[in-house]
Order: sequence, then structure tokens, then C-alpha cells
Amino acid sequence: MDQETVRTICYLARLKIDQNKSEKIQKDLETIIELIGSLQSIDTSDVEPLYSPLEMTAFKHEDLEKSDNKKNKFLENAAESNEDYFLVPRVVE
Amino acid sequence: MNWETVIGLETHVQLSTKTKLFSRASTTFGASPNTNVNLIDCGLPGVLPSVNKEAFYKAIRFGMAIGAHINQTSIFDRKNYFYADLPKGYQITQMDLPIVLGGSIKILTDDSTKIINITRAHLEEDAGKSIHDEFDGFSAIDLNRAGTPLLEIVSEPEISSAKEAVAYMKAMHQLVTYLDVSDGNMAQGSLRCDANVSIRKSGDSELGTRTEIKNINSFKFIEKAINFEIKRQIKVLESGEKVTQETRLYDSAKDETRPMRSKEFANDYRYFPEPDLLPVVISNEEMQKIKDEFPELPTEKEIRYQNEYGLSSYDAQIIASSKSMADFFESSLTGVKNYSLLANWLIGEISAYLNKELIEIHESKLSSENIAMLINRIDDQTISGKIGKSIFEEMCINGSSPDQIIESKGLKQITDDDSIEKVIDEVIENNSEQVQGFKSGKEKLFGFFVGQVMKKTQGKANPQTVNKILKEKLAK
Amino acid sequence: MSIQFKSITELNKLLDSKAISASELTQESIQLAKKYSELNCFVTLNEENSSKRASDIDRNKKNTSLLSGIPLAQKDLFCTEGLKTTCSSKILSNFKPPYTATVVKKLEDAGSITIGKTNMDEFAMGSSNETSFFGSVHNPWKKGFVPGGSSGGSAAAVAAGIVPAATGTDTGGSIRQPAAHCGITGLKPTYGRISRWGMIAFASSLDQAGPLARSAEDCAILLNSMSGYDSKDTTSLNADVPNFLEDINQSIKGKKIGIIKEFNLSDLDTEVQKRFDESKKAFENLGAEFIEVSLPNISASVPTYYSIAPAECSSNLSRYDGVRFGHRAENTDDLNDLYIKSRSEGFGDEVKRRILIGTYALSAGYYDAYYKKAQQVRRLIKNDFDQVFKSIDLLMTPTSPNTAFKFESKGTQNPVELYLEDLFTISSNLAGLPAISIPHGQVNSLPVGLQLIGNFLREDQLLNAAHVFQQNSDFHNAKPNLENF
Repeated sequence: MDQETVRTICYLARLKIDQNKSEKIQKDLETIIELIGSLQSIDTSDVEPLYSPLEMTAFKHEDLEKSDNKKNKFLENAAESNEDYFLVPRVVE
Repeated sequence: MNWETVIGLETHVQLSTKTKLFSRASTTFGASPNTNVNLIDCGLPGVLPSVNKEAFYKAIRFGMAIGAHINQTSIFDRKNYFYADLPKGYQITQMDLPIVLGGSIKILTDDSTKIINITRAHLEEDAGKSIHDEFDGFSAIDLNRAGTPLLEIVSEPEISSAKEAVAYMKAMHQLVTYLDVSDGNMAQGSLRCDANVSIRKSGDSELGTRTEIKNINSFKFIEKAINFEIKRQIKVLESGEKVTQETRLYDSAKDETRPMRSKEFANDYRYFPEPDLLPVVISNEEMQKIKDEFPELPTEKEIRYQNEYGLSSYDAQIIASSKSMADFFESSLTGVKNYSLLANWLIGEISAYLNKELIEIHESKLSSENIAMLINRIDDQTISGKIGKSIFEEMCINGSSPDQIIESKGLKQITDDDSIEKVIDEVIENNSEQVQGFKSGKEKLFGFFVGQVMKKTQGKANPQTVNKILKEKLAK
Repeated sequence: MSIQFKSITELNKLLDSKAISASELTQESIQLAKKYSELNCFVTLNEENSSKRASDIDRNKKNTSLLSGIPLAQKDLFCTEGLKTTCSSKILSNFKPPYTATVVKKLEDAGSITIGKTNMDEFAMGSSNETSFFGSVHNPWKKGFVPGGSSGGSAAAVAAGIVPAATGTDTGGSIRQPAAHCGITGLKPTYGRISRWGMIAFASSLDQAGPLARSAEDCAILLNSMSGYDSKDTTSLNADVPNFLEDINQSIKGKKIGIIKEFNLSDLDTEVQKRFDESKKAFENLGAEFIEVSLPNISASVPTYYSIAPAECSSNLSRYDGVRFGHRAENTDDLNDLYIKSRSEGFGDEVKRRILIGTYALSAGYYDAYYKKAQQVRRLIKNDFDQVFKSIDLLMTPTSPNTAFKFESKGTQNPVELYLEDLFTISSNLAGLPAISIPHGQVNSLPVGLQLIGNFLREDQLLNAAHVFQQNSDFHNAKPNLENF
């Protein structure tokens, strides 16, 4: 697993690994990938992936309003907010 | 050098369900910030989505109307990326198995019709809104819109000009409003358009590099944005450069497109099936019910108006082309005897008023009962057409009924011969010079006498009776 | 008279006979938690509120439920309104949810009293409770040894007798393995049996809540209240919930129990093997028949799990971005910087590792080879189970290949070392099947666990077999010597 790949997946996940830990993390990742790569040897031709252990289909609900809004509590939990909005550093588009 | 334009449009239609796609928060427009937000919409730890069936039914209705294939089993996927108005850090959308596949839309340009094929349409949740300019140094996030159901409709790249693009969007607007799938309001964002534009040398079979233009929120801007982009790409290619594949924003103030900053880094969305939602199945019974409750479409209405109500094909087409107009027409029908007169008023006076005020008929103060009453009063000669127009003006302002206005202003038409004859006699007596002039050949003076009679009767005299009696008297 | 180490059934007798009131019971439980704070089982104690609730229950007098007045500990990933819910992570270290998880609500509606939130591996990722932001939990049986994970705090709290029972979650063995290491009983039900609403997600298609208690009977009492369809969780099963106590005493004569060929038990520690053989004999004496069965794909369980779980978690944890709740870094230049700093500061190393692996497994070019492949193998594993359950009632395995180990002795150099702890438990999560771990002795003074795996929705069979075993043995009554704490 090269440095470039590590950098890319770190960016996709919005994570930064400390310089002093980066070598170990890369090694760890390689070991884990080796583990999960061992599945390659299993024949899965014509096998449907199993995304959920439940062999059933989704329940659909009625289009009826039921609010559980707690605006004040939601905004309170944020590190930065005012009485109406969540606030983040200004984004320039 | 002859250049050919290739355009594909991605339309996002906000479905007019009462609640959101995965939560039961309300979708009403213009609510106070962060109030139409349930726990699920906030993306709090531990919350789970649940599927709104009405969103599916609307999507299917759309699919049926365009002759598409409906996937009765469809799956939701997660599209992973980070943005401030995306609470969960992923959007629940449909990737591999969308609800609608294929289909086509007929568009009308100035001189012809063209079929544009649809690639697919799928359901996904909308993101919240970011407000960048109101708070110093901060962007503000409002999650009211987060979770609203969207139907993303992707056209094949078969549109060849900005005009065709506008025609396509107009057809889309008519379709979604007619089907009660969306209110199709571009200004409010319930109908959005992203344009993929590329150009190539005429005759080339390979597609040129395309750019995606976002943030176009009116029919007018669609035309302008696309035309700007076409010109820009031609300039780039003619100078020997290559067109960069990128996302651009349309700036309506400057009438130009420019690259969008936040889309600079290529994103790997890492789609995978949403593990919190099982496959969604629409039963045959549900499909049948949707078919049974299918609303009448414009072309069917056109035919019916001609056959059942004797409208001309021209009038029928105009009234049927707008759902709100057609609805109004149909609800006015029961009270009215003269369908053609009703149609004339709708297409004439009423449309002129609506266009001037830039509103739809259901946003005005006019009710179908009152309009029906107005038509009837004109039809049975209680008032003249001219008086009818002034009554209409007042109805527009304060929504009162014609009878109320006629009563309060005493506008009933004068129709009995005796009263009119008396007035005519007066006019003739007081205007002997003009009478002489008329009798000596100045026929145009007839209008003068009519005018004088109308003045004396505050316009209430029945014009036909006036003409008849005046002619008789002046002939003596 | 101490309430320490008493089961729910025993406490009910005391409450019914008025030998103790709910308030006294709650108070004692809290006192015990404080006394043994060195164990580090709890992240938050709910002293004030639980006293209030206990008084209400005492006043109310109507004692219709088996859980009425019973103090419970809740794993700190169940949202409790107004009470800190941290997932043992820095990123949620001050998070107070505005709502309560269905499971907690159901247990409290049944009269139980939440005395505190228990320590765990960060975001449920771990098998030793060593990844917690709030420090490791001690195994009550041996100081400086792990209790197992990720529900380490819950297991230790029950094992130390502070509470008679606790809730946990199990994604790859996180209820069963700590139950085994702490000498108590822990059950992972069928996937979908218990609502996940309010249960902070790690891996959505694998997570399941479950009870930890001193006996199978007590687990059944909790399971009765915890189970049931919840319209807020569309992956919860709309299936009847039987009374899990009803047939718990039935004879197990004639029950067929499978031993999985592919789990070469001869590779295990001799003492652990010995205990397993002895329990096998005990079940035979109770009338069960043992059959060797084959689950050809079962050795692929660990790699399969470690493709799927990290992938799902990498997406589930994207919401921790510092914007609407949780830790937000200071002095950030822009939005991206805010994300990167907040998440890097807020998450521990194991969580970061799993997010990165998951991101990799889902990324373009790798999706088919890792994520999709794993889900295909998952189906093969499930098919193997379906096949085998046509001819047997239960499967039996050791819960864990080892007993509890010293802090920092596993996984520090190579993370996969810890992953292999889940060897026996992981496959039932992949297939969504219920499984239970019961204590069946000790090796070097540390508890050893026995696992039974049941068919879809057959928790009743698990509880029945476990209960009958416990009626005829004493392992579950063993108590740790807590004088070092």
C-alpha cells in the first residue's frame, strides 16, 4: 500500500495521521488488507452478495406528518450555533 | 468550422409529498430555520431512516407517464462525501437499481416536436441549505430541506440547443405539475436543472469533453447559461486549447459560468447498498392502484374539452396546457352555460391579468364560482361585456362576487327599450349640430351618439338596443 | 444484607417481601459502583435520576413486572435523553442526546432503573475494552487483565455484582466474549429481534443489542422486555416475541448439538479444550446428542467480517464531523480543516484504522475485490448454517480461543492478533443468528465461556439449553474476589 493511496483514503475519510504514527498505520493497514485479501481464493461466481441477514423487504410508512423536532436542543449540541442556525467557518463557492 | 452542441439535462424534482423521504418531518416551504427537522434529518447518532411510500407512488406515476420501465424492487445506496449541509456525511440515493428506467418526453420547439429519451430516474434525499453571506465569517446551516424527496431525472444527451433545453424543461414542468408529482416551482427550488454541455465538430460521432453547469433557477437563465457555455467552449477549442471537464456555476448577475470551487477535488463516492434500509418492493396491487388513480394528461383534456364542451382546438390546447388553468376551467364548468365564453375569458382577460401580476390562477383572488357567475351575467345580458371587464378588475382586487359589485354599484344593464329611447331622445335633442352633420353624410358621427348615450347611462345601456333605436331615430 | 452478586430473580424476592425497597436497592448499587470505581466500569453514574425513579416505583407499589425496581447498567452507546452518551470516545465525550433509545425506554417502562452508562471499546470497536477514551476496564477476576470487549464495562459491572444485569451490543462477539472472560452469561439475539433505534451504529447489518446477566434465566427476563418490532427501525423484525421464560425448564433430552469440524479444537489451549470436553459430557448426561457437522466456509469468517464491518462503520461514522454535535477542533482555517482536525483529534487509533480500511474497501477499484467479495462469502457462510440447521438444533463451540489476557499484551504490534479473538463468535453475526455464552469453569483462575449458536429466531432453544445446564452446575454462581479493588 503506497503512501499515495494512504493519503487519498485519509483525505476521503477526513483523517490526518500524525507523522510519528504514519509508518505504523501504513503497516497495520497492509496487515489487515492481507487478512481480508485472503477471500480472493474463495469461488463466489454466481453468488448474490448478502447485504443484510434479513430476507425481507422494507416497510413503507404513510405520508403523514409527525414531528419530533427539538430545535433548541439540536442547536445547543453544536459547538457553534446561534438561535436559528448551525455555524461553520465560511465556505466560499 | 461548424460546431454541434450536445446537451444532457439532469433535472431534480422536489416531490410534493407532505413529509420527507425518510422521516415524517413536514416539507412545507418557508418554515422558520431548523424547525422542519426531525431527529433523523439531523443525522444524530443512533437514528435510522424509514421509507415514505407516497414518494415512491409519485415517482412511479412519473415513470408511467413517460412510458418508462418501473423497477418494482429497487434499492437505496449511500453516496459518501463531506459537506456542511449533508448531516450524515452521506446521501441516501439510488445507484444500481433505480425506481424508473428509460422512457421519453416529447418537447415542442418553435416549429417542431422532438422526442428526448430518458436514461433513468431515481429517488434520493435533498441536502440542507447553506447561507454564506449573512453571518460574519460563518456559513449558516439550515436543515429544513435536508431529507426532502427528490426525483433525479437524467436525459440522454440528445438535446441540441439552448432553446431545446428550455422546451424540455417546460415539458418537464407541465408533466410534473399535471401529475401532482411536484409544484415545479423553479424560483423556489422545487424544479432544478443541471446542464451537461459539450460541443463537437458537425458530423463527429465522438462526444466532446463536457462541463456541468449548476445553479440555474429559471427558464430564462437556462437559455442564457447554456448559450454562454457553448460560446465559451467554442472559443476554447478554436484557440487550440482543450475544454476542462469541470463543474461550473452560472452567475446570473454577470451572465457567465465559472468553475465551482468546492468541486475541485475529484470525489470517490464509495457507493454501497444502504444497510439500514431493506429492498423496497412495490406490489402489483399498488401498481394497479397508481394506474387506476392516474390523472388526466393535457392531450386527453384537449380532446375532451373539444368533444364535451365544444371548445375550438386552439382554445382547448391553451387551457389544457396549464394544470391550474385546466383545474379552474373544470371547476367553473358546472355553473356556466356558455362554455366558449368562459374559455374566451380565461384565455383573454384572465390570462392577461395573471401574466401581468406574474401569478397562477390559484394564487389570485378569483374563485371559479365568481367567474362562473360573471360569465353567466354577461351571457344573460344582465351586464354588458364592457361592464363585465370593470367588474372583473374589482373582483381581482378584493375577490368579491359579481352580484355584490353589480348591486353595490348599480351596474345592471339597461335593456328596456323605453328607458333607452328616452335617453336617445335627450341626446338627439341636445346635439342638433351633430345630428345635422350625420344626416348630411358624416356617418362616423354615429359613434359619437352611442358614446353620449353610454355616458348618460354610465355605460349600462345595452349596446345592441342602443344601436337599433338610434339607427331608427336618426333615420327619421 | 448485601445485594452484591444477587440475580434478578433473587432481588425480586427481596423486593416482593419488602425486605428491601427499590430506593435502597438503587442506592446500594450506586454505592457499589463507587466502591469499585477502580474497575472503571462506568463512564457516567446516573445517581440523582435513578434515586428519583426508585422512589416513584416505591410509591407506586404496583409491582407487576419482573424488572420493576431492578437496577441496570446501560452500555454507553445507547442514547439516553439528557444523560451523557459517549461511546467511550473523545468525539462524543460531552454529548447529551435529545432522545432515548427504544431498548432503554422499553427496559425503563418495564420498571428497571438505569444507574449508569458503562465503559466500552471506542464505538464498539475492540475485543478488550482497551480502546476506550476513558481508560481500560479491569477484569474483576484479575486486576490488570482485560474484561473482553467491546461491552467490557457492562460485563465487569455484572461480574462484580454491582448490578444484576446490563445491556450490551454484539457486532462480532462484543457481548459473548466479555461475558466469557468475566464468567457471566451474555446473549446476542437474532438480528432484528431488538430495535436499533437510538443504538449508536458501528456496523448496521451486524449490530445487535442484548442482555448480560448472572444466568440464562435473567437474560430471558431482559430479553422479554427488550425484544419487539419498532416502526422506527425498519430492520427490526415484525415477528412474535414468545415469553422466553415459558419453556426454559424443558428437558433437553434428544436435542441434537453440532460440533463444527472446521474449528480444529485440538489447536486450542489444553485446559480450554478440557473444559469444553467436560461440558460436552455434561450435556450428554442431560440427554443431548452430539453430531459432527461441516460449515465449509466458516474459517473465512474473520476476513469477511473485517471487510464488511469497517466498510459500514467508515460510512456510519462520517456524521461525526464537528458540525452539529460532538467535539469540534479550535483554530481551523476552513470547513475541510474543521473536519480533518475534529475527527483526527476526536477518534482513537483503532477507530481510525477501521475507518481507513473501510474507506479503502469501498473505494473505486477495490469495491468488488473487498466489500462485494466479502458480502458474497457472507452468503456462503449463511447458506452453510441454513444447511446444517436442517438436521440439528444447536451448535456448540468455545466462546473464545483464550481466557482474559493482560493489558497491552495483544494487538499492540499487530491489530489482527486481536481480531482473531473473535474467531468463534463472528460467524453468527454474519448470518444474523442468535448465540449465547455461558461460564463453564476456570483456567488459571480466569473464567472460560461456552457458546451455543441457535437457528433464526430460536433464542428459546438457546436459553433452554443454557438454563438446564446451569440448573445442573454451579459455574455461573462463582464470584470473583474483589479485595484488590
